[in-house]
Amino acid sequence: MSEQDNLEELGKSALARVAQAATSAQLDEIDTEYLGRKGELTLQLRKIGSLPADQRKDFGQAVNDIKVRITDAIEARKKTISGGEIDAKLAAEAVDITMPGRFYRIGRPHVLVQTLAKIKDIFIRLGYEIVESPEVESYHYNFEALNYPLDHPAIDEQMSFYINDERLLRTHTTAYQHRQMEKRKPPIMVCTMGKCYRVDAVDATHNHTFHQVDCFCVDRGITMADLKGTLYQFAVEMFGADTNIRFRPDFFPFVEPGAEVAVTCSICAGKGCNVCKGSGWLELAGAGMIHPNVLRGAGIDPEEYTGFAFGFGIDRMPMVQHGIDDMRLFMDNDLRFLRQL
Amino acid sequence: MKLPIGWLKELLDYECPPRELADKLTMAGLEVEEIMQLEDETVFDVKVTPNRGDWLSVLGVAREAAPLVDGTLKMPDPIIEGASPAAGESISIDIEDPDLCCRYVGAVVRGVQVKPSPGWMQSRLTAAGMRPINNIVDATNYVMLELGQPLHAFDLSLLHNSHIIVRRARAGEKIISLDGSPRDLTEDMLVIADSDRPVAIAGVMGGLDSEINEQTKDVVIEAANFAGTSIRRTSKKLGLVTEASYRFERGVDPSIAKKAALRAAELICEIAGGEAAQGTVDAYPCVKEPRQIKARPERANAVLGIELTPQSMAQHLNALQIETSLEDGLLVSMVPTCRPDVVSEIDLIEEIGRASGYENLPLTLPKARTKGMDSKEGLFRDRIRRILMSCGAQETLTHSLVDSNLSELCGCDESMIRLRNTLTEEIDSLRVRLVPNLLGVIERNQTHEINDVCIFEVGKVYFRTPEGVIDEKLAIAGAMSGNLWRNSWNLSSEALDADFFLCKGTIENLLDALGIKSVQFAPTEDTFLHPTRCAKILVDGVEIGVLGEVAPGMLEAFDVKGRSQVYELDFNALMGCVPDTLTYHHVPKYPALRMHMAVVVSDEVKYEQLQQVIAQSGEGFIEKTELLDVYRGEQVGTGRTSLTISMVFRSRERTLTDEEVNSVLDNVKKALSRNLAAGFR
Repeated sequence: MSEQDNLEELGKSALARVAQAATSAQLDEIDTEYLGRKGELTLQLRKIGSLPADQRKDFGQAVNDIKVRITDAIEARKKTISGGEIDAKLAAEAVDITMPGRFYRIGRPHVLVQTLAKIKDIFIRLGYEIVESPEVESYHYNFEALNYPLDHPAIDEQMSFYINDERLLRTHTTAYQHRQMEKRKPPIMVCTMGKCYRVDAVDATHNHTFHQVDCFCVDRGITMADLKGTLYQFAVEMFGADTNIRFRPDFFPFVEPGAEVAVTCSICAGKGCNVCKGSGWLELAGAGMIHPNVLRGAGIDPEEYTGFAFGFGIDRMPMVQHGIDDMRLFMDNDLRFLRQL
Repeated sequence: MKLPIGWLKELLDYECPPRELADKLTMAGLEVEEIMQLEDETVFDVKVTPNRGDWLSVLGVAREAAPLVDGTLKMPDPIIEGASPAAGESISIDIEDPDLCCRYVGAVVRGVQVKPSPGWMQSRLTAAGMRPINNIVDATNYVMLELGQPLHAFDLSLLHNSHIIVRRARAGEKIISLDGSPRDLTEDMLVIADSDRPVAIAGVMGGLDSEINEQTKDVVIEAANFAGTSIRRTSKKLGLVTEASYRFERGVDPSIAKKAALRAAELICEIAGGEAAQGTVDAYPCVKEPRQIKARPERANAVLGIELTPQSMAQHLNALQIETSLEDGLLVSMVPTCRPDVVSEIDLIEEIGRASGYENLPLTLPKARTKGMDSKEGLFRDRIRRILMSCGAQETLTHSLVDSNLSELCGCDESMIRLRNTLTEEIDSLRVRLVPNLLGVIERNQTHEINDVCIFEVGKVYFRTPEGVIDEKLAIAGAMSGNLWRNSWNLSSEALDADFFLCKGTIENLLDALGIKSVQFAPTEDTFLHPTRCAKILVDGVEIGVLGEVAPGMLEAFDVKGRSQVYELDFNALMGCVPDTLTYHHVPKYPALRMHMAVVVSDEVKYEQLQQVIAQSGEGFIEKTELLDVYRGEQVGTGRTSLTISMVFRSRERTLTDEEVNSVLDNVKKALSRNLAAGFR
């Protein structure tokens, strides 16, 4: 038998043993036996010096080839074997994946804050600066500066909580307008939002505390069509592309002409339902062109500048959106309610 | 206001189904809130805005509806034959205070028989929402509803000297009003008096002892025009709102007074017999004329954003019975006395807009280019909210109006703002702090068997400064109670319940997320909090809030079961601590070594002291310390605590050897035993 054949035999028997090995430990033994420092193949390689010079290269090549084949086979076999070992181990570690997950529940934003956030985003995109505004207001800013005549029944519509003769809780977010007009120069586009208060008996659709958003815009050439376009844009972004708006005359002392704005009822898409009392419209906002008296009072020349303003309550929006039937739920903070939305 | 359609048809000749008419009126600004179908009558419930007192009558609605339905007004034209002696010979009228009464018309009907009014009148009054009384009173109410002029009827025989004097009440005068209540009059109230005493509170309610009764034979009909603000003040002061006062407050057309008096006389003759006296007595010291107002058509187009010709603007105004012509390119309008709300150019512009239809306004956007942005408070509030929500807290919104007793209980009475008027005692003040509200939320949820609660609120608190200034500011507060883990099976529930350290951890987490360093927790006193389980929170030595377990007394007062943890921070103070930018420090290149030690110290020693000694003696190699375990018990003896502390050693310059670390640890231990009498286990 030539050295070459001998080598072949050695390789075959080694590969056969690898194929039969059942554990990683046996493979390690085979590894040592053939490839170790005193292993069979290592010994073969040492023979190389005793061979004729012209055979040395081929012989060395052959030994290396076999070495690689055995190494690969051991590796492959090892993977197969250890896979099985791991499988067995993992099988023993099985959990019942239908048992409940353990977690630290994260909080949700309050539903009214979600609504306010959506509104805020829309008005920021439309170019409005959001400003903070006080809730404890003066009679002056809440009524007088807004062109409410002294001792006028219009004030009765906004029964106020008073702290003293001068100070009251704002009855509408509109109270901030004059403050803003006094300290800014046109173009002015600002928006505020927050709590308002009226002496109103509490029931499913009324509360003494409610939330409003108010926006106004003053510049040269502002028109009532701009007001209508702005509210249309808002309505579409807030309630969806199919929303339409309805403008009709209404009265608020601080605007002239004044308007009431309604949007397509989102429940019935304008066909008429219980929520919109069959009209197909839901009241959205009070709006109008800022009364020249208001502008003048804030030091803005109404001949040079015009402006529009609008304000709306937001509590009814999530009520319609989520089918909430009782306004009191918002401030009751029953977690069974809050965690649903 | 309830408006029977059959009545409208008497004053307006038109063809239009009720539903369509309702829509047209609504779109013109007179909202029809409801259409009611009575047995033999359709009734509109209309919502009259406070500026349009002229709409508070059938006539007023007819006038508004006329151009909408192309109808023709049919003004009542009462015909009185008139018997002598003339009205002027039966009564005399003196207006002493013409500033509060610009006109007073008196008419007289003699020989009436007081009885219930006929069915047609009763059903019409009922449909309009008024209660029939007798034929005389009903006739006056009928005319008020029809023409908008409040009327009053006196029994002539009960007016001393047949003299009617319109004057301010005198100090100490009293009257018993028709509803039987004695009323104290003050000098700013206008009354109708005879030669001896007040017989009516002008524009509000008549007096009991001059009222129409079963024996009444001769009747005086009053059709007067009183100043709205005076009537409003009187009505408020007396707490007495009537159909008459409601109309006067909103403005009554002075030019209708005489027609109304005659119309009432005509009706009384028809339904109560009797004979009207010839003529009326008409005291009209301050005659109101139509008001001339000019408007620029181009201004109207500029405000409305439309393009109407001056001619069509004039047409629109004329259709609304505002007589308008074009002079030198200007609209010159004569506004009738029934429209006191139209006083300036902008009011005419609104009328033009209304008449041309708001539905025809185009949709445009302002050309102004401004930068939309949130307020800095708004941005920070959202940041805080996001962090706290991811810390497991549910956002809540609670009422700012609270029970003053609760604020007093929490020791906030000094700065509390009370309301002067309120609905109920439960909301008689403004909240000074948020935490009592949050404890209230825990209590309410506990009544629903929800005992595991973690909530927060960012909201306003309101206070009076020591100088007495009323102010408000934003605060951040949270509360937690129970086990906040969901499905914590196999985990010990004792360790999971929210305690002081979970609350403190939330704050540490929040401050860390905001990039705030040098935070310190120090003992404090707070009525609301457990005296030995509360702390104030300091950033760079400045107090920004408090946290701790709720005092047992408070838990009891709020009826809360179990322990609760709360925190409350000043929004602006916290915002002021947040660094504008954060600077990057290289992540460490060299490996760390971790060592543990169990230190035994006296109970008096605070963990913070241990940390300080470790930091000082650590030669700058101790990157971080962590508390792993705290033990008190037999193995360490009474009055002693064992704390297992893990320390991470690292150098920023090189890899530390075991020898170096051991030597540092040795120093640390020596320092601990020297400074804090620490032992080691």
